[in-house]
Amino acid sequence: MSDTTLTPKGPSMMGTVLRSLEVRMLGLALLLAVVLSFASPFFLTERNIFNILDQSVVIGIVAVGMTFVILTGGIDLSVGAVFGLTGIILAQALQVMPIPLAIPLGILAGAGIGLFSGVLIAVFGLAPFVVTLGVMAIGRSLSFIFSGQRSISGLPPELDAIVYTTFFGVPVNVLFLIGLYLVTWGYLTYTKGGRTIYAIGSNFEAARAAGLSTMYYSIMPYVVSGALAAVAVTFSLAQIMSADPLAGNQLELDAIAAVVIGGASLYGGRGSIIGTLLGVLIMVMIRNGLNLMGVSPFWQGTAIGSIIILALLAERLINWRSSRS
Amino acid sequence: MMQSPSQSGTFVRAEPLLMARGVSKHFGKTRALVDASLTLRPGEVTGLLGANGAGKSTLSRIVSGHIQPTGGALEFDGGPLALSSTRDALRQGIALVAQETSLAPDLSVLENIFLPNLATPGRLSFRNMRARATDLLAGLGHEHVLPLDAEVRTLSAAQRQLVEIAKALALDARLVIFDEPTASLSTTEVDGLFDIMDRLRESGRALAFVSHRLEEVFAITDRVTILREGQVVAEDVATSSLTQGDIIQHMVGRDIGAIYSERNVAPDAVGDTVFEVRGLKAAPWVRDMSFSVRAGEILGLGGLVGAGRSEAMEAIWGLRTKQAGEVLVKGQPVSLRKPADAVRAGIGFVAEDRRAQNIVPDLSVRENLLLAQMGQHRSFWRGYGRRAEKVAALVAELGLPADRLDTSLLNYSGGMQQKIIIARWLLTEPDILILDEPTKGVDIGTRSSIYRILQRAADAGLAVIVISSDFEELLGLAERIVVVSDGVTIADLPAARLTEEKLTLLAAPRSSTQRNQLLLQDITQAHGGDAFWTLLDGDETICLAQAGQALSGLQPGQAAVAQQTSIPQAIRARAAAFVVEVDGRASLLTQMTDRRGHDLGWIGLTLPAGIPVPDPAEIRTRIQNLAQTEDAHV
Repeated sequence: MSDTTLTPKGPSMMGTVLRSLEVRMLGLALLLAVVLSFASPFFLTERNIFNILDQSVVIGIVAVGMTFVILTGGIDLSVGAVFGLTGIILAQALQVMPIPLAIPLGILAGAGIGLFSGVLIAVFGLAPFVVTLGVMAIGRSLSFIFSGQRSISGLPPELDAIVYTTFFGVPVNVLFLIGLYLVTWGYLTYTKGGRTIYAIGSNFEAARAAGLSTMYYSIMPYVVSGALAAVAVTFSLAQIMSADPLAGNQLELDAIAAVVIGGASLYGGRGSIIGTLLGVLIMVMIRNGLNLMGVSPFWQGTAIGSIIILALLAERLINWRSSRS
Repeated sequence: MMQSPSQSGTFVRAEPLLMARGVSKHFGKTRALVDASLTLRPGEVTGLLGANGAGKSTLSRIVSGHIQPTGGALEFDGGPLALSSTRDALRQGIALVAQETSLAPDLSVLENIFLPNLATPGRLSFRNMRARATDLLAGLGHEHVLPLDAEVRTLSAAQRQLVEIAKALALDARLVIFDEPTASLSTTEVDGLFDIMDRLRESGRALAFVSHRLEEVFAITDRVTILREGQVVAEDVATSSLTQGDIIQHMVGRDIGAIYSERNVAPDAVGDTVFEVRGLKAAPWVRDMSFSVRAGEILGLGGLVGAGRSEAMEAIWGLRTKQAGEVLVKGQPVSLRKPADAVRAGIGFVAEDRRAQNIVPDLSVRENLLLAQMGQHRSFWRGYGRRAEKVAALVAELGLPADRLDTSLLNYSGGMQQKIIIARWLLTEPDILILDEPTKGVDIGTRSSIYRILQRAADAGLAVIVISSDFEELLGLAERIVVVSDGVTIADLPAARLTEEKLTLLAAPRSSTQRNQLLLQDITQAHGGDAFWTLLDGDETICLAQAGQALSGLQPGQAAVAQQTSIPQAIRARAAAFVVEVDGRASLLTQMTDRRGHDLGWIGLTLPAGIPVPDPAEIRTRIQNLAQTEDAHV
């Protein structure tokens, strides 16, 4: 036809941008690894690598839920508090029932809290920021009440099996993390639900007008986020064998930071689970490296904050340049 | 260079107030405007014409400081002009009265008129403002019709425009650009606007009038500048030296008939009714709408902007709550509570606002194409692979770039985006396709290819419903037109019976035709019988309103030829006196024309046989007086 008026605006194609963003993040992660291995001779040891993976489990699991939420254009500030509260619920449940019952109960509790937030946000149209801020306050408060303001220890020793069992030398919690990212990648890429989540975050009205189930997929990410916070605390409890009402304090900030470093847009519709994984690894590596170098933990916040801002700034400058050329 | 005396040689035209030379504007690689020139003089109305997407809005937005040009120079009042914002432009005395008004709906009329003053330092004196506002409105001839304390959200479209104009004058604007100001106005409201524009012209202001309605261009402009595909094709030409044909030629650059390829529908090619809406109500916009469409038919839904057409479709589509009404698909009542229900019932819907309602910017072209099919099927998986062949076939058929399906949709022109959105729905293989303003912001080449796509789809048995405010488009594309006014379907007529003028009269808001309805009631009260308001064209009638007994055989919203009515003699004669039919009923028909000479249709009175007829002169005078008086609202 004669009327194919094709007017490309810039050289960047969306697919290439996403891919190249992930490539850049991978580059940043590798660069960080090289720098840190020079800074500390212990960094690149097998033992420390497993350490990094182990330290990635909790934030990595929570960041998956946060990715779902942020892709729809929402935010979940309550994950830290849900982590703390479901930890207390799980610890109390373990006092009275066997492990195979207590763990699903804890996860169900996390999912229930997520459902509560999701319904308020999607059905009643409240702002995600405000709803999850409220749930955060309630969650933290309830975890103090349910715990009697103290840590709960005396958990059944068999619980540590979910962390210290290994397959081919890899601990089961790390295997779970890898499996979770694989499944999530498949879900977000190949299923109607996954594509709907992207479409909702990119243009809610268009997704709705096209007949997609916008209501369901606006609630579901919060349920996933709440449930995964409970899964994360299960692994954490098995490791430290005690539940603290303050556990997971500021975990939401780490999770949001990982997702954002991974290239997701807080407006929704843009981001990927691979990016999130790289974001998690970058954050954990920085912390790990600073610890190895003996830097005071009080400086770590400054270091991580600066890297988040620098990564975003670099990304914005690259985008500006490519859109101008 | 342009101060040469006018052809009559009796007076010298004023120096240009604004000159634009070599102005261009690029959005990325899209060239919206190339080397455009514009000259505006005090005391003149210059028409800025062009088809959708020709660049007339871009040019007026550059002159009013909304956007900055990529290249070129502006000159204002003899000096160079550089505008970095609308504020700059307002300070210079350049104001834009936009299609969608820039008023704050929660503030009062008074506050809106002086809105730009809120940005200036110092205290505001409401008493001074009130006095000035009254003066300004008096200068426009509207001092008592606009309550200064009313919230703007409660005003009609025409009243809002008046506020917008007063706002421009409050800043002592010397140059006022009207960007498609008549799109949502009735005929009488348009006349009111033109009166105001006349006054502004006489006061020595320079006016630009952006429009694509040719009738209006001839009614109000002194000169025209015509754009096509971003370029000026006729600059600063006297309107009186042009014919409608000339202007169309310039705007289109080819024969107008070529845009709407004639579709020959054999009467038996059109199938059964596949979609029917009965008594739809979705307050406040949709009050009572009924229409139906058959397989293989293109139905036009015409009316003014704000008549409730889009809202009706959104209610059908489950995007708005409806209070009443029935929707039938293939004769079966269906309950469409959410868009997914409608998609699965075999309906497709290209919503009006492409950016807000159709495009998913972060998904690729392919994913955008496949979006609605995902809403349609119930599988867990996204189902792209299974539909790959269908996508490939459709892409080839519609001339979409097959090798660039995985790039961003935002890289394409508005027209190409629109084709992709239409393809999105064709991919679901619907029985009914509803399109709301499908060629808004689309270049003329793509427009005609969109028409061809729709016609081909209809030939294959699809029932198509097209909503458009562009009457020419409706007449060119649709076989049948349902006219909507104030949320009510008021006429259902074959397109062949209609013209743009008739559609304009039919589509006028009920509020502005209330006067005529009252007149009809008055007449029947005084004389009895059947009073009606109808359009006449040769032997054909289209009745707009009726009151009293049913004697004439004319029914509102219906078309009929003379011999189908009960008063064929009177319709053919159009005499100044009562004409008596064979069966004895007597009828008088009187034409109404407004002060500008527009045909407003005919008022008729039919009396039963055997009663004495009143004095025709008296009735005629009464009707003509009413037609000539100023309408109460604007």
